[in-house]
Amino acid sequence: MPARFSKPAFLASFSVAVLVLSPAVAGAQTTVLLPDTSQTTLLTATVSEQARVSVPASVTFTVADVSNSTTANAAALTIDRIVLATATKQFRISVQAGAASFTPPVAGATTWTAGDVSWNAATWTRATGASGILSASAFTQVATCDADAGDCLTTNLVFTLGAKSSVKRAGSHMLTVTWKVESIGS
Amino acid sequence: MWTPMLPTRSLAWLGLMALSLAPSSQTPRPTSFSATLTSIKVTARPGQVITRQFQLTMDRDQARTHFRARVEDWWRSEDGKQSFYREPGTLRHSCAQWASVNPVESAVGGGDTLTVRITVALPVELAPGGYWCALTVDEVPDPLAPGGGVGVRFVASVSTGIFLYVDPVERHATILGLRVDGDRAVVRVRNDGNAPLGIEGRIQFFVPGSSAPAAVVDLARATLLTEPSLEGDLGVALPPAAVLPSGRYLVRAILDIGAANDIGAERELVVTRSGPANGPVR
Repeated sequence: MPARFSKPAFLASFSVAVLVLSPAVAGAQTTVLLPDTSQTTLLTATVSEQARVSVPASVTFTVADVSNSTTANAAALTIDRIVLATATKQFRISVQAGAASFTPPVAGATTWTAGDVSWNAATWTRATGASGILSASAFTQVATCDADAGDCLTTNLVFTLGAKSSVKRAGSHMLTVTWKVESIGS
Repeated sequence: MWTPMLPTRSLAWLGLMALSLAPSSQTPRPTSFSATLTSIKVTARPGQVITRQFQLTMDRDQARTHFRARVEDWWRSEDGKQSFYREPGTLRHSCAQWASVNPVESAVGGGDTLTVRITVALPVELAPGGYWCALTVDEVPDPLAPGGGVGVRFVASVSTGIFLYVDPVERHATILGLRVDGDRAVVRVRNDGNAPLGIEGRIQFFVPGSSAPAAVVDLARATLLTEPSLEGDLGVALPPAAVLPSGRYLVRAILDIGAANDIGAERELVVTRSGPANGPVR
């Protein structure tokens, strides 16, 4: 059911004047009282919980040495225009891998697993970030916006790919990861 | 004939170099959109049909993107840090099997709006209590998206909750524990009712012997389900050490579970802050 908020309601009042007509024949004057036709129209805006979300499309790891971990360039996320039902509700963003492992350039070649990807507890504006390790079975929290925040954002979320000396094939190792935007609550 | 060709080739090569070095080719444009996130919460009767809409609007500068809508089971880990989405019917109190969405799959261009209609038809025979599921709208990965190198390709997904309450709904809960864990205060709660609970509340810190709290922190609204676990932790960051320095406190949790009465619990706890501060230890 769409939430109904206590947004300003514009009360428009339309008054209808009571007219006393002057009949042409003076001797037959009768005053007719019209019923009170004052009316009000209540304008209500029903506002859904909503937000605008901007998430990076990809991050790239430039792996120069598979025996060392590699960090990607810092990623930026923004959640703004946040409208929630109560001041105590919070917006959360989390990630889950679409597969247990990267897709290697050659079928069967050794590659990284989802669990080899981690991220830092980035510095967020109006949110609390949490470091984590990527999972293919659950969405793991990256940040929770502050209660009653109109927006929250970061520009320094850094993903790290762990060392994997057993990787032998150069080329494209890709993994699809889902950003989950949640505002689920009873 | 040979000499005039050289500049043309060189220019073409330089052009290709410039394209390959352009930031736009190295950093794909972020995915950005607006979405409605209102959970569906209805006190329903068996046999009732409920219809709602979900909307997603792509930002104007976005490329045409495919989305797929579905309804699935949903729950959170007890510590609240992980969310799980599974096939309809994974949970006994799932409402996902009663729900349908239309359209299931759509392409949305920049500035365009996707409207998904969701219909939930409750069975005629249904035990009282709470039932829940989640409407999820996933971005479908573009198979033609440029790849290469070692990397992660992101897609976006939005989920909103669907909560159906069939009377008589019983809202009961028990506070199982109250602790300070690092710089967080944590209340452990068990759902003793027959429906998901929306829980709000606050934690008060009293210097022993004082009637006025030295600090109060509000708990963010949380949802405590009835399965797969009845229990969950509600955590909140402690106030700054200047407000709540290290020391021994009487800590009191007061929770509003949507029932007629709030529930509460209190205990003495030692708060240890990482920074130097004089505490009111007695």
